[in-house]
Amino acid sequence: MARGNKEILAKLEQIVGPEYVSNEEANLIPYSWDLTWAEPRMPDYVVMPKTVTEIQRILRLANHQKIPVIPYVNATNIGGLCVPEEGGIIMDLKRMDQIIKIDPETCYAVIEPGVSHAQLSAALKATNPQWEGVEFSKGFEFGWGVHPASASVLAMAINHGIGHLNGRLGINSQLLSSMEVVLPTAEVVKIGSCAYSDSWHSFLPLPRMDGLFTGWMGTTGIVTKLGLWIFPIRPYRDVLTIAAASAKDITKYMVHWRHYSLCDEVTAVSWWLAQIPITFPYKDKPKDAPEFFSYTVISGWTEEELEYKRKMWKKVVQEEKARGTQLIDFEYPEEAKRGRTELPSRIVGSTKNYSKSCGGGLAWPGTFAPCKSWPILYEKWKEIYIRHGLSPATRFTDYQGAHYGMLRCMTPFDKRNPESVKAARDAMVECVRAGIPLGMLPYKPPVEYMNELNAAADAGYVYLMTKIKDMLDPNNIMNPGKLGVR
Amino acid sequence: MALELKNTSLKELAKLYDYISMCTHCGNCKYGYEWGKTGNFAAMLCVQGDKYNFDSYRGSRGKAAIAKGLLSNKLQWSDAVSHVLFTCTGCGACQQMCETDIKPYILRMFEALRSEAWKQNVAIPEGIKKWSSTIGVNRNPYLEKHENRLDWLPSSIRSSLPKKAEYIYFAGCTASYRQKSVALATVKLLQKLKVDFTVSEDEWCCASPLLRTGQYDLAKEFVEHNKELPEKYGASGFITTCAGCYRTLSRDYKMDPPEGYIDKFGKMENVKVVHTIQLIEEMLNKGEIEFTGSFNSTVTYHDPCHLGRHAEVYEAPRNVLKAIPGVNLVEMYRNRKFSFCCGAGGGVRGGFADYSLETSAKRVREAESTGASVLTSTCPFCWRNLTDAIEMTKSPLKMVDIVEILEPIVKRK
Ligand SMILES: Cc1cc2nc3c(=O)[nH]c(=O)nc-3n(C[C@H](O)[C@H](O)[C@H](O)COP(=O)(O)OP(=O)(O)OC[C@H]3O[C@@H](n4cnc5c(N)ncnc54)[C@H](O)[C@@H]3O)c2cc1C
Ligand code: SF4
Ligand code: SF4
Repeated sequence: MARGNKEILAKLEQIVGPEYVSNEEANLIPYSWDLTWAEPRMPDYVVMPKTVTEIQRILRLANHQKIPVIPYVNATNIGGLCVPEEGGIIMDLKRMDQIIKIDPETCYAVIEPGVSHAQLSAALKATNPQWEGVEFSKGFEFGWGVHPASASVLAMAINHGIGHLNGRLGINSQLLSSMEVVLPTAEVVKIGSCAYSDSWHSFLPLPRMDGLFTGWMGTTGIVTKLGLWIFPIRPYRDVLTIAAASAKDITKYMVHWRHYSLCDEVTAVSWWLAQIPITFPYKDKPKDAPEFFSYTVISGWTEEELEYKRKMWKKVVQEEKARGTQLIDFEYPEEAKRGRTELPSRIVGSTKNYSKSCGGGLAWPGTFAPCKSWPILYEKWKEIYIRHGLSPATRFTDYQGAHYGMLRCMTPFDKRNPESVKAARDAMVECVRAGIPLGMLPYKPPVEYMNELNAAADAGYVYLMTKIKDMLDPNNIMNPGKLGVR
Repeated sequence: MALELKNTSLKELAKLYDYISMCTHCGNCKYGYEWGKTGNFAAMLCVQGDKYNFDSYRGSRGKAAIAKGLLSNKLQWSDAVSHVLFTCTGCGACQQMCETDIKPYILRMFEALRSEAWKQNVAIPEGIKKWSSTIGVNRNPYLEKHENRLDWLPSSIRSSLPKKAEYIYFAGCTASYRQKSVALATVKLLQKLKVDFTVSEDEWCCASPLLRTGQYDLAKEFVEHNKELPEKYGASGFITTCAGCYRTLSRDYKMDPPEGYIDKFGKMENVKVVHTIQLIEEMLNKGEIEFTGSFNSTVTYHDPCHLGRHAEVYEAPRNVLKAIPGVNLVEMYRNRKFSFCCGAGGGVRGGFADYSLETSAKRVREAESTGASVLTSTCPFCWRNLTDAIEMTKSPLKMVDIVEILEPIVKRK
């Protein structure tokens, strides 16, 4: 069955060629849902541009006809962000898959939207940090998350994605350096140093206009090239692990350890998230099992550097134990340790660890929250989750210092069963509602979370967000419905 | 959003609903990837996605979405659905990448989807319809006469074969009617190596093309017929040179679903199935083979999907190649479980000749990039498609099956 309108289809075909546009439901259905509870919505067309000019022409057409356009690469955002609320054109950017540049001296890469984690990590590993031909070490890395390796690096990074270097460097959108964007009204703009020369190394010291396109979930423009900082791979790495009796105890330890800024990452997972796969439906934790497990990844240029970090870590653990923090010595199995350092991962990215045998649904209240609120919210979330028959598979991760970190609950559910879908959605929305007053903010928020955010937001904030959206996208064609204000 | 089972009239598909539902839509299956100590493997492996681009065509996620759509009545049958279903070569690369509970059922799901498509009013590729309409009589998908099946076998050899033997050499349709050189080299090789084998006077298609294209009803009599052959010849096993026959005889005839079809056709009991390459490797390991010559070439090996990913036979061909004096074996970037299909499988060569050839040309270019002068494999079907691409692209590569390399330069110790 075909959808949409023949004239629009013909115009899209003229722009990208007939093999790269379709209005057949057979081709549209994989774009109509994602992993989450988001209600399926059929787009009317899918189009796969290859060039910036093609994107401009599609956007001109979409503006003229007032057709929604949804930027899309792999739809693994776990927020229903690519589900076309009002139908329209899915702009699948996978064909724009060039790594345009890797500068091993100034240490940045420039990529197109379709570049996957698989592609970029392979290319960076094969490039050595150097100066005037003298190589210093082997390979570069970026902040790799636990996503499917086929997912877009660009789509992740511009939406405040997180990776394995967060403890050391901050979240991935803090590591961006330049960008090229096609505005909803089809003009092409460059932001950052690339606006002045072919050097894509920094946004600073210019006004931070990149903020108009980061965290906006494809509602303000199409980012067509992205510069990102890349980092030399440190040859020595270790994973140190510990467990704790409660969320409070593990938070105390994490806050103390991250104080020294010595790790690449420090993360804690509740007993339920430590189960592979996450138990679904909810099951009680054995009484004697720790409530939280934590790993921290340390890295260095020499074994001595690593040894120093190990010593400091042990000191933190001893001091915490001495002051009564209930830490429990616990060694992660080797395989689990490897899973923390060998990213991106084919296995973890495949959702196997989270969502096996439960009916295909996966979502999260994925949030940034001040660490102070972690234990308080964990107890609240746990109560909410258990009430809805779900496992509180919670994760805390520190982001570069004392300011904030991740609080999220990976949630499998059964898509075969409408009750299960509803329970999962209700639980997660309730968690978000409970968290906002305590400083918690959901990332890549599904529409339901966005509505919660908007209801609680400062009126001026919503006013400005709406004004910016209207200014950039006067016909509201870009991923409409996702901001909850238009 | 729930995806409930609403359309139970799709019986074959509905049986798999619980497994299909386990697909999370993660998209891991759309691209080949694995972390390695010094480098990452990263490459497009889905031949269908590489050609047709949209997510419907990329990996198992697209097809699982179609299956879910059909079962939940969110999608209706159409020619476009059929096109997505029949342009997949069933290479199994997506299955390799997937780690959720749908994984073992992915290929079975593709075949079940096709089996449902036959019952709908949708366009089935003409090429597939054509051979399917005559296979019941011809016993092969090449529109050739059944009585000519053994024409590849010189009468001198035919008359020398025993009536009863330990093995039946199951030549398969491609080697019987098209790549006759592979069948001939195989019997000569087996004779030289003094393997106790014979050739059946009444071999039928193994049913691989029927199963892979979802034609279960037609496949039944083929499986039942071939299952009886070992008893007739007092044989305890089949030897195949065709990767497709190997997969079908060793898995579809013998294994529980989802790997095999014994739920539909019963089990072939007590019959060993070996690919020639496994037999050779075993004989080499036992020191039973002596090389009388060498093959002085740089060679690259193409893993047939049906032998590699479907049956996990990766090392035997490589071990045999490495044992041949003069062979310098070099690997393509995409190899073993991350190999790239030759483009012929799953009915695609018969159904979409141009796309099939375009795919094999991609593989030939990859083989050329290794610096090899010889491209080898263990499947006459891959041989055919790769050879066509070599000719089309005027590639300097020479295609030979491993049995063709071995036959002139070995003897039994
Ligand atoms: C199992 C699992 C684990 C995950 N773990 C992590 C993790 O550790 N860290 C993390 O950060 N994420 C994680 N994610 C989320 C997600 O995989 C990543 O953010 C991912 O990189 C998104 O890529 P994608 O290709 O799927 O983007 P999509 O989902 O296709 O797009 C994401 C958003 O970006 C918009 N967009 C896409 N391209 C453009 C463009 N060119 N210009 C403007 N807007 C655009 C889309 O409209 C959408 O709003 C995980 C997901 C899964 C399934
Ligand atoms: S079997 Fe091969 S061609 Fe078919 S979807 Fe999977 S990877 Fe693609
Ligand atoms: S088939 Fe497997 S790898 Fe592909 S989307 Fe589904 S769960 Fe993920």
